[in-house]
Amino acid sequence: MDQFFQQLVNGLSIGSIYALMAVGYSLVYSIMNFSNFAHGSVIMLGAYFGFYALTLLGLPFTVAFIIAAFGTAAVAVILERLAYKPLRDRRAPFLYFIITAMGASIFIDNSVIATIGPTPKTFPPPLLPAFLQGDPLEWGALTIGRIDLTIFVVAAICLVLLMIFIDFTKLGKAIQATAYNMKASALMGINPNFVIILVFAIGGGLAGVAGVLYGMKYQVFPQMSAITLKSFIAAVFGGLGSLPGALLGAVLLALIETFVSGYLSTQYRDLFAFIILIGMLVVRPSGIMGKDAEDKA
Amino acid sequence: MRKLLCGTLMAAMALSASAQTVKIGWFGPETGDSALWGQAELATVQMMAADYNAKGGITVGAKKYKVEIVAYDDKGDSVEAVNVTKRLISQDKVVAIVGAQGSGEAIPVAPIVNEAKVPLVASTATNPKVTVSDSGAVNPYVFRACFTDPYQGKVAAYFASQKLGKKKAAIFMTIDDPYSTGLSQYFKENFEKAGGKVVCEVSYTSGEKDFRAPLTKIKASNPDVIFIPAYYNDVALASKQARDLGIKQLLLGGDGWPSDNLISLAGKSLEGCLFINHLDMDGAAAKPMRDEYKAKYNKNAELNSYMVHDALAMVVDAIGRAKSINSVEIQKALTTCDLQGITGHIKIGPNHDPVGKEAWLIKIVGPDMKFQEKFSTAN
Repeated sequence: MDQFFQQLVNGLSIGSIYALMAVGYSLVYSIMNFSNFAHGSVIMLGAYFGFYALTLLGLPFTVAFIIAAFGTAAVAVILERLAYKPLRDRRAPFLYFIITAMGASIFIDNSVIATIGPTPKTFPPPLLPAFLQGDPLEWGALTIGRIDLTIFVVAAICLVLLMIFIDFTKLGKAIQATAYNMKASALMGINPNFVIILVFAIGGGLAGVAGVLYGMKYQVFPQMSAITLKSFIAAVFGGLGSLPGALLGAVLLALIETFVSGYLSTQYRDLFAFIILIGMLVVRPSGIMGKDAEDKA
Repeated sequence: MRKLLCGTLMAAMALSASAQTVKIGWFGPETGDSALWGQAELATVQMMAADYNAKGGITVGAKKYKVEIVAYDDKGDSVEAVNVTKRLISQDKVVAIVGAQGSGEAIPVAPIVNEAKVPLVASTATNPKVTVSDSGAVNPYVFRACFTDPYQGKVAAYFASQKLGKKKAAIFMTIDDPYSTGLSQYFKENFEKAGGKVVCEVSYTSGEKDFRAPLTKIKASNPDVIFIPAYYNDVALASKQARDLGIKQLLLGGDGWPSDNLISLAGKSLEGCLFINHLDMDGAAAKPMRDEYKAKYNKNAELNSYMVHDALAMVVDAIGRAKSINSVEIQKALTTCDLQGITGHIKIGPNHDPVGKEAWLIKIVGPDMKFQEKFSTAN
């Protein structure tokens, strides 16, 4: 039983990172109807922003964190302006958006490999806040790493704030309206260009937070963006375009992965995760909480 | 694509156009996951070539030959390794090849060098199949400077059971890497032969970053020692996560551990842990090369620097004794290789592996890797 609860904690700690990453995919999909595969690279950049703000500039940890979030928000918006807006202006098919996103992702990843190099880096523990440096917290036979706990709390705070923003503010309503019908909401006086920038900025900011957290939990390295594909799968699983769906999908996927590798074997982990994903999409093509059954490219 | 030659070598060749050169090939990963080690090897062979040439070259019978290193990047990829080996042999016409640090690259290259009759001396390819093919026949043209995985597994098991008195071991391996699975198997066989028991065997797939699920399984099995035959980056991730899960046991590893980056990545999580290495990188035997490397590149030499040093030294020694730069003659001389390298005494046995080469037990103490003791046995 001890092992069960420990695996549950393990799963939740991975799930909270997946969730932070997955909402970025979901937000952009809800407005633009395409999967922004460059999101993973923005997450990776966030980890590097945080790492260098901390080590090179010597900034305090919280400041480094905020710089990473604003930095990636800016990168995401620039990406939208440079790469996606020209396509939107020409009313290009969605396939072009996806290919552009993949191209942008490869470009960003390789720029980092070429300039910084492929060697992984780790956040130096002495530069982290004192709370994160001590021994893991123990509660009976259960052990929780300090960074894992922090990630869970930070992710939860970010996601709750996001939900409040989307549901209870005017801007949030504008995003919802645009997601529901871009043309009609434009006729009602909502500027779609502004909403798109807003969505990329929010998704990018969360990417920065996720990147720094991921870098703290594991390492900072250029191939990070490929690993974030798991969170895209989580978003599809939960229902692309739905925020609660992305959350649920992320936590479920992480729990399935952890329990399969904990009780069966790591080799079966992806096998089971993907069988469940495919089964899910056969029964409910729009994911657990997705509303319509459009194709999810 | 083709990178080679130190500036000094170019200058030397320009000055004495009449000087004869002997081409020796090198290949290894200059890019990719193990780039750190490949770059260290290339830097070493270039440094050595410059040293040989500064003394007028290497002696072959009555003549002196300048050494030219022809180097290619195999990206740590087996297909690429085969391609660059073919190019080294047919296009560059090298007389011998060193490098091939990973068993995954050295094994597919073996049939090619056998057919072309160009000797290959592998630096750190420890899998038994590098020198002995699946059919059990020795690859006539493949040699190595390092000890093998069965030997390393035996030494690790010996240390764990006899020296440290551990009874229950857990193994955490990379399931898709023959180095890791092979070493695990040899460790298990020898550990159980010595009266110990392997209570938990779990694995991960390379590229994964979260090991908490399998490590939780290890924790539940409550072993005395945890054997992790993996490469430094994964070791650092695993040790941190193990400590986060409250696993306090000793971690034990093999020659995938030593790297300048290991301790900076792992932080305090590896304090007091032990691993098997090919030499004491801080010891007296390694000092001249360590200092020269540091002075020249302003970086610390990696394990692969010392290993490829000995591999190239074996080739140069064989050329000297063969009094010829004919590949077949060099191969004959390599079979009787008996020289003192930086990493120990290298006497090539019937399987083309060094026989009775010492394994070194290293302990991680603070930011240092401290030598504990040596061990050698019949292969």
